Amino acid sequence: MKLFRSIRFNIILGALIALLSAVGTFLPQTSTSPDKVEFYRLLHPLGFKILNFFGAFNLYQTWWFMGLLGLMAFDIIICKLWNKPPDISATALPPENTNEEEIEKHWSQREEALRLKPFQSSMDSSLAFDEAFTKARAFFERAGYAVHDEFHSPAGAAFLATKHRLQRWGSYIAHIALVVILIGAFINALYGFVEMAPVMEGTTVAMKRRPWTLSVDKFTVHFYHGTFQPSLFSSVLRVKAGDKLIGAKTIRVNHPLDIHGVRFYQASWGAAGMFRSVTLNLAGSFLTLRQRVPKKVPGSPFSVEADVLMPDFTVANGHADTASLDLKNPAVRFLFSIEGKPTPPLWLFALYPKVCLKENPDGTLLHAEAPPFSLVSVDPVLFSGIQVAYDPGYPWVVTGVLLWVLGLVLLFYFHRRRFWALLEPGQNGKTKISIGAWSSRGGRDFEKEFNRLTGEMKSHLDFK
Amino acid sequence: MQIVVAGLSHKTAELALREKFALLARSEVARKIKAAQVSDAVFLSTCNRFEIYACGFSNGADGPDVLLRFFEDLIGKNSSKEDLYLYSGSEAVAHLLKVASGLDSLVVGETEILGQVKESYEWAKNEGLTGKIGNILFQRALYVGKKVRSETGISVGQTSVASVAVELAQSIFGNLSESSVLVLGAGQMAEIMIRHLATQKAPKILISNRTRERAEALARNFKAAVLPWENRGEALQEVDIVLSSTGSPEPVVTKEMVEKSLKNRRGRSLFMVDIAMPRDIEEEIHSLEHVYLYRLEDLEHIVAKNLEGRAAEISKAKEIIESKTGEISEWLKALKEGREVSFKHSSRPKMPRTESARK
Amino acid sequence: MSPELMLTKATLAAYLGAVTLSFVYLAYKDEKWNRWMLNLLGVGIALHLAAFGFRIHSFWQIPENRYFLPINTFFGALSYLALAVCGAFFVIESRHRLGILGAFVLPWASLSLGIAVCAASPEISGLAPALQSYWINIHPMVLMTSYAAFGNAFGVGVALLVQEHQIKSRKPIALCYRLPSIEELDNLNYRIIVMAFPILTIGIIMGGVWAENAWGRFWGWDPKETWALITALVYAGYLHMRYMMGLRGKKAVYVSMLGFACVVFTFAGVNFLSELHGYLSKG
Repeated sequence: MKLFRSIRFNIILGALIALLSAVGTFLPQTSTSPDKVEFYRLLHPLGFKILNFFGAFNLYQTWWFMGLLGLMAFDIIICKLWNKPPDISATALPPENTNEEEIEKHWSQREEALRLKPFQSSMDSSLAFDEAFTKARAFFERAGYAVHDEFHSPAGAAFLATKHRLQRWGSYIAHIALVVILIGAFINALYGFVEMAPVMEGTTVAMKRRPWTLSVDKFTVHFYHGTFQPSLFSSVLRVKAGDKLIGAKTIRVNHPLDIHGVRFYQASWGAAGMFRSVTLNLAGSFLTLRQRVPKKVPGSPFSVEADVLMPDFTVANGHADTASLDLKNPAVRFLFSIEGKPTPPLWLFALYPKVCLKENPDGTLLHAEAPPFSLVSVDPVLFSGIQVAYDPGYPWVVTGVLLWVLGLVLLFYFHRRRFWALLEPGQNGKTKISIGAWSSRGGRDFEKEFNRLTGEMKSHLDFK
Repeated sequence: MQIVVAGLSHKTAELALREKFALLARSEVARKIKAAQVSDAVFLSTCNRFEIYACGFSNGADGPDVLLRFFEDLIGKNSSKEDLYLYSGSEAVAHLLKVASGLDSLVVGETEILGQVKESYEWAKNEGLTGKIGNILFQRALYVGKKVRSETGISVGQTSVASVAVELAQSIFGNLSESSVLVLGAGQMAEIMIRHLATQKAPKILISNRTRERAEALARNFKAAVLPWENRGEALQEVDIVLSSTGSPEPVVTKEMVEKSLKNRRGRSLFMVDIAMPRDIEEEIHSLEHVYLYRLEDLEHIVAKNLEGRAAEISKAKEIIESKTGEISEWLKALKEGREVSFKHSSRPKMPRTESARK
Repeated sequence: MSPELMLTKATLAAYLGAVTLSFVYLAYKDEKWNRWMLNLLGVGIALHLAAFGFRIHSFWQIPENRYFLPINTFFGALSYLALAVCGAFFVIESRHRLGILGAFVLPWASLSLGIAVCAASPEISGLAPALQSYWINIHPMVLMTSYAAFGNAFGVGVALLVQEHQIKSRKPIALCYRLPSIEELDNLNYRIIVMAFPILTIGIIMGGVWAENAWGRFWGWDPKETWALITALVYAGYLHMRYMMGLRGKKAVYVSMLGFACVVFTFAGVNFLSELHGYLSKG
């Protein structure tokens, strides 16, 4: 227990978590980039084995990383319960005790107690004792202070004036907030889910984690002029439980659909190799083909068929492949036959009309002469990448976030101030007033405020 | 309407003679000035100089001559002419600017003289000694004195061991009005140090000495508190500055004591000055974090450096004085011809911010 | 050259001039250099705001970008960062009268803008759909404001190290008396971090809320997110070590400098690791 109570241990724990998180950013993570993890496995088979044993490619989801976070949360609670921040205000002057005897004891040590306050000042008021006391009290109240713990004795009187006492709780609130956020994260890890559902336009798929079906009736994507940078993509989405429609919305990025806490996000989109039609330019005349439907070229012995679409054409191991599902470099394979006799398939590119690749029977590719025809346009069937997420920790996280903001604002942007005032009857009906003060505000800044306030008080109390 | 200055200073006169002038009562001098029918006059009396500026003489009188006779009058005939200097016209103006800027001082660039000039002028003004020219002349001189100090390095760096120590303390703690000081030893050096600290409003000064009586005597003079000699180790936890100048043959502050106190200081800096011979504070203490130990020779080294630095700035200061002398002479000339001209910058120059914040 | 680029270059010139003047002021005790430095800095900030105005104007020519701020590219982000550092310095200087610290703070702002002008493309592009959210006006701005404050704290920290070294050496040069005292610098360093830390964490949390809105998760351990968390952890460590363990002076500055190194890495280095947050990626 002693170990967990030590702040040093907590700081070391925090440093360890920071260090491990940093390591994780330099290694590909399965959750964000599985392809890179695979690449790493091929590149360094041994290193991969060792690192994978420790879960380094799934670092943030490993039991030991989760354990460290949990330990940290536990530790924060322990630390907060046992350790009070150093608080000079704790040295008591008479007003802070209810026990009569204690008060008398403190009263006799008042000079010493006052000396321990970081800021002190004393003044003589020409007012009589009672009037001075009332006026001093009223002065602090007018300055926005709460006056409490009044104390009267034959030897004199004292009171405590405070401002922004809530500041003290800022630290507690902020730390509780962290724990609440972590609880939210754990609830999410245990009961929440994230499911990717690629849905082809016009089709319906079933969800894995809920007995629901998703239908994308229409998928739209707009591009910035002259680029393949999408400016907007959206899906007309319907969600059904059995035959019953439970939600429908045109979703786009930043605008999800929410059904009882399950949210449907427009996450990505792509082309998967299907298309509705392609258009060829054959020496000036256009020919539109549907996928895998051969067509005769009018006025010639040829027939042509378009069968495969690669949305982001690349060559891998000498074969045609696609680098991604984005429409970055669409290419279509055409099969020509002359009077029923097939010729080698040709790849044509929508973006590069001068390029043509010939495919050998074994699938390898060769550059071919630019043919007298070109690919004009492709109308691909797109799929909408819908991410379904359920996060039962959501209210916890939101509460935690709000508490965090509240706690930090209280802790750092407000300053607690405490003024102790001791009044003793002096000679000739005058009153001696001693002031001690403490503030969470730094020394120099509070010094100015202290001097200003005591100065004002002085002139206030001498005024008859 | 000619400006004339006559006076003597540490450069021209022996100490014994200067003392005689320094002892003259102000009101007496003022009375004599009025009696000599000199108007628009200011006199400046410090332990290093005594001089009279004047520009109003009764009709036909020769200003320099009047002032010379006036000096003889003041303390009898026992001052020879070699002890005096006498300038008139723009030379007199240049001399005033030099004095105000601290160029004519024993320690070049010292700031005290500017205050003395200001005070003397204001006193003379209240006495009704000054006139239009004198007023403007002295206000200009005060302005130039500040300008020279803020625009050249002539006043940069303290020139005594005690003031260097105070300045270093300010470089560590900033404003000393929150700092507490522990003085070990109650000898003459301790007293000088405390006097310098007192000007910086250090609120809490603790004096500790092996023989308590001497500490108490010193404490009475400076509103300081006396700390029992055995408690000095514990006091290290609280204080910010330690000044040690005891005659002890053994170190009176050991590394062990300081190390123990550091645990409770929460990282606040501790500045220690050891001006005792043999040393009072163990040298290894300097290697501790947050502790800065300066020995006498370190402070002396800094003083020497500062004096070198000031000397190097003299020519720059002279340039400013030359151009300002020109301006004032122009103005005087115009005044004589009945034209009114005003100075370009009549406002006071801002003092350097960090400096003023420290004061 | 577009008016925006011209203004940006003029801004850079003004900033570099202010940096030069701040060093002159460091070397020569003469208030006029400080005044000129501040004047030039003020001019620089005004020019910078004008350049930013032009950038916003051309950014909004693309309808999808409308009413979002142009900080989706390296150029926009670096430029805004420089503006924030200078602005923060201007505010802090005027409140605490610490023009002498210009030489320790302004070079970083100039460096940031210099990299923007020399190495980053000022071209304007359309926002990726994920960035088309009002959050883009808040989340990066809040974070970069905290980065700017941390940059100022870093400059103060450098000044503290210089001052500490001077006094420890027992042979302080004139500069020692020009700089604020060790305790003041220490306090200022702490105060700036105390101001900036909540801003940093609130900025990170806003990112989480945005991510929840756009991708369906608060936190995904994306490198940028992770590094922001590391930065926050380091500064939280600093605050705890200082507040609870009384760590001050040189060692505290080292911790805060480690924090600033994390800030720099989060801002610039992570772009080579992150797919989601890269200024270069499609978002």
